[in-house]
Amino acid sequence: MPDGSGHMQPYLDQALEGASNLVGSGVDWIDALRRAGADAFGTHGLPKRRDEYWRYTNLNALADEAFRLANGAPAIGLPSLPHKLVAELATYRMVLVNGRLRPDLCALDGLPDDVLVSGLEDLMAAAPARLEPYLGRIIRLNEMPMAALNTAFLRDGLAMFVGDGIVLDKPVHLISITAPGDGPLMVQPRHLVVMGKGAGATLIETHVTAEGGSSFNNIVAELHLDDGAKLNHFVFQEEAEASVHLSGTAVAMGADTTYDSFVLQSGGAIGRSEIHAYLNGTGGDCRLDGVYLASGKQVVDNTTFVEHAAPGCRSRQVYKGVLDGQSRGVFQGKVHVLRDAQQTDGHQLSRALLLSPRAEIDARPELEIYADDVKCSHGATAGELDDDSLFYLLSRGIPREEARRMLIEAFLAEAIAEIPLEQVAEDFTTHVRQWLAQNVGNADGQG
Amino acid sequence: MALLEIRNLHATVDDKPILNGLDLTIGGGEVHAIMGPNGSGKSTLSYVLSGRDGYEVTDGEVLFDGKNLLEMEADERAREGVFLAFQYPVEIPGVTSITFLRTAVNAVREHHGGSPFDAMDFVKYIREKAAGLNVSDDMLKRAVNTGFSGGEKKRMEILQMAALDPKLAILDETDSGLDIDALKVVADGVNAMRNEERGLLVITHYQRLLDYIVPDHVHVLAKGRIVKSGGKELAHELEESGYAEFLEDAA
Repeated sequence: MPDGSGHMQPYLDQALEGASNLVGSGVDWIDALRRAGADAFGTHGLPKRRDEYWRYTNLNALADEAFRLANGAPAIGLPSLPHKLVAELATYRMVLVNGRLRPDLCALDGLPDDVLVSGLEDLMAAAPARLEPYLGRIIRLNEMPMAALNTAFLRDGLAMFVGDGIVLDKPVHLISITAPGDGPLMVQPRHLVVMGKGAGATLIETHVTAEGGSSFNNIVAELHLDDGAKLNHFVFQEEAEASVHLSGTAVAMGADTTYDSFVLQSGGAIGRSEIHAYLNGTGGDCRLDGVYLASGKQVVDNTTFVEHAAPGCRSRQVYKGVLDGQSRGVFQGKVHVLRDAQQTDGHQLSRALLLSPRAEIDARPELEIYADDVKCSHGATAGELDDDSLFYLLSRGIPREEARRMLIEAFLAEAIAEIPLEQVAEDFTTHVRQWLAQNVGNADGQG
Repeated sequence: MALLEIRNLHATVDDKPILNGLDLTIGGGEVHAIMGPNGSGKSTLSYVLSGRDGYEVTDGEVLFDGKNLLEMEADERAREGVFLAFQYPVEIPGVTSITFLRTAVNAVREHHGGSPFDAMDFVKYIREKAAGLNVSDDMLKRAVNTGFSGGEKKRMEILQMAALDPKLAILDETDSGLDIDALKVVADGVNAMRNEERGLLVITHYQRLLDYIVPDHVHVLAKGRIVKSGGKELAHELEESGYAEFLEDAA
């Protein structure tokens, strides 16, 4: 078991080793930030079962394998992406290989004035003052040990600034490729998005793995939404079987902002999406949705923390998953309503479909409410396909496996239908169909 | 050769005997009605014939078009031409009616060596069938039975029957939950499908439906067996006298 000091040391050592040579070194606040990350991780160590947010997902894999930080970006080309419509969509494209920006694969022509999309490292070198008010300001290092580790390595990633009142005409597509080579390889990307007052944008993230050994991708994103800003955020997590994918996102929401997030996870030995949303201004609207598909021995974890700090905000969470084989799903969601956050409207729902008797879901939806005038609900369901529905389809001549696939797709369709960008919704649906074709066949039996 | 031949059928649900030696023969083009009190085994018969899990046949045999029906899975029976119109059609959110119908029709067509409809051709095909049943395009676009009224659900059942063109249709309490106008629409749809080949098995508690779908033969089911058979006039007798005598006889 990773129980702190022993197993975390190799990671900490790697962070400390390189720190003095990193870009931004010598800039006081950057040095301080990296040091704070290293200290917080050093104090805490790798997450343990007694950590509130890590009760169901253990990171033994990180203790067992000696992941080494990637050194540069191999010269691989852009792989054909599994989602075609988004790939064909006109976007501003940013490509990271092993966390490092690959300018030759990016396409940023035509960005409006007062919009900056750049590699984080480049901006740290060129204009660190621009980052200072934002970078590392909303990650609660003591609550997110893996984000603390990421902070100790602070360098790689995406920086995106959208000026006041600007609504981006095209989505930004961040393609993140991990090329592990012989592995085990580690990547520590850090993304920063700053949306000005009334700004609007769509950010699509694709996470894929190139051929090779095992990899560990420890991503952190910080999203700042100033008053009236709107950000749509769609994530495809389709990493390879030998990947540990940990993603920690913090979003700070001003008054009348909208954050609409949808995460599709089907990759990785471990895939985890952890989102902390802070509703700091009145009238904020936060949607956290997700769909996950797991088979074999995969672990897919969706952990959320929504803090209603201001009155009159709304949050909605719907996570739906399909678990086959011996896979395990985790949903931990907490809605925390502070005393002043009256007229909060907060809902969360976890629904899992278990296709195999050995699949498992751990769901823990939680409400913690200190205000007295709120409308909140939470729920979790887990079960098998409905017998009545299945028989109805069979009785019309639809073969059993096809009937099962139809019902599973229908179960997920409700969640996917909420996605406002049609190409993303369709690609998600296509992805679900491909997964079902591979995983729900005759060999799967009666499930 | 009869279309359907049920011999000495015994079936249990959760180890409880429900059908106790049922015999019934339906020829092509014939309409048979099965009437009986609650708990007599009417719905069990429809599920046993359509192959629902959990309904165990413990004795007897069922031949459909000369083939052993009981050896087939539910979906195979449907493709071979057995159709069950449900008493309570199932709502399936997330699957549109048109997709559901096309998948089913294509499964049946391919089973019989035909080529599947593409989306455009199917719309034409289903619109023709839907017109007489007062099923709108809007209903076809909605999720299967989801939020449908009782009448809409039953019309959708009959549309499925028309689209799948079965050899044998079993109508399980199709009149339940329908007012008289809705009942007429449904009955007209069923009558339009009567022909020389198709067999119909109409299962009902009340005689009312049989005023509109007039049967050739009426059977009384009690305690899991056919206890009396006759012509259509038997339905009227039952309406007068009720089922009490059969329950006493069987007891």
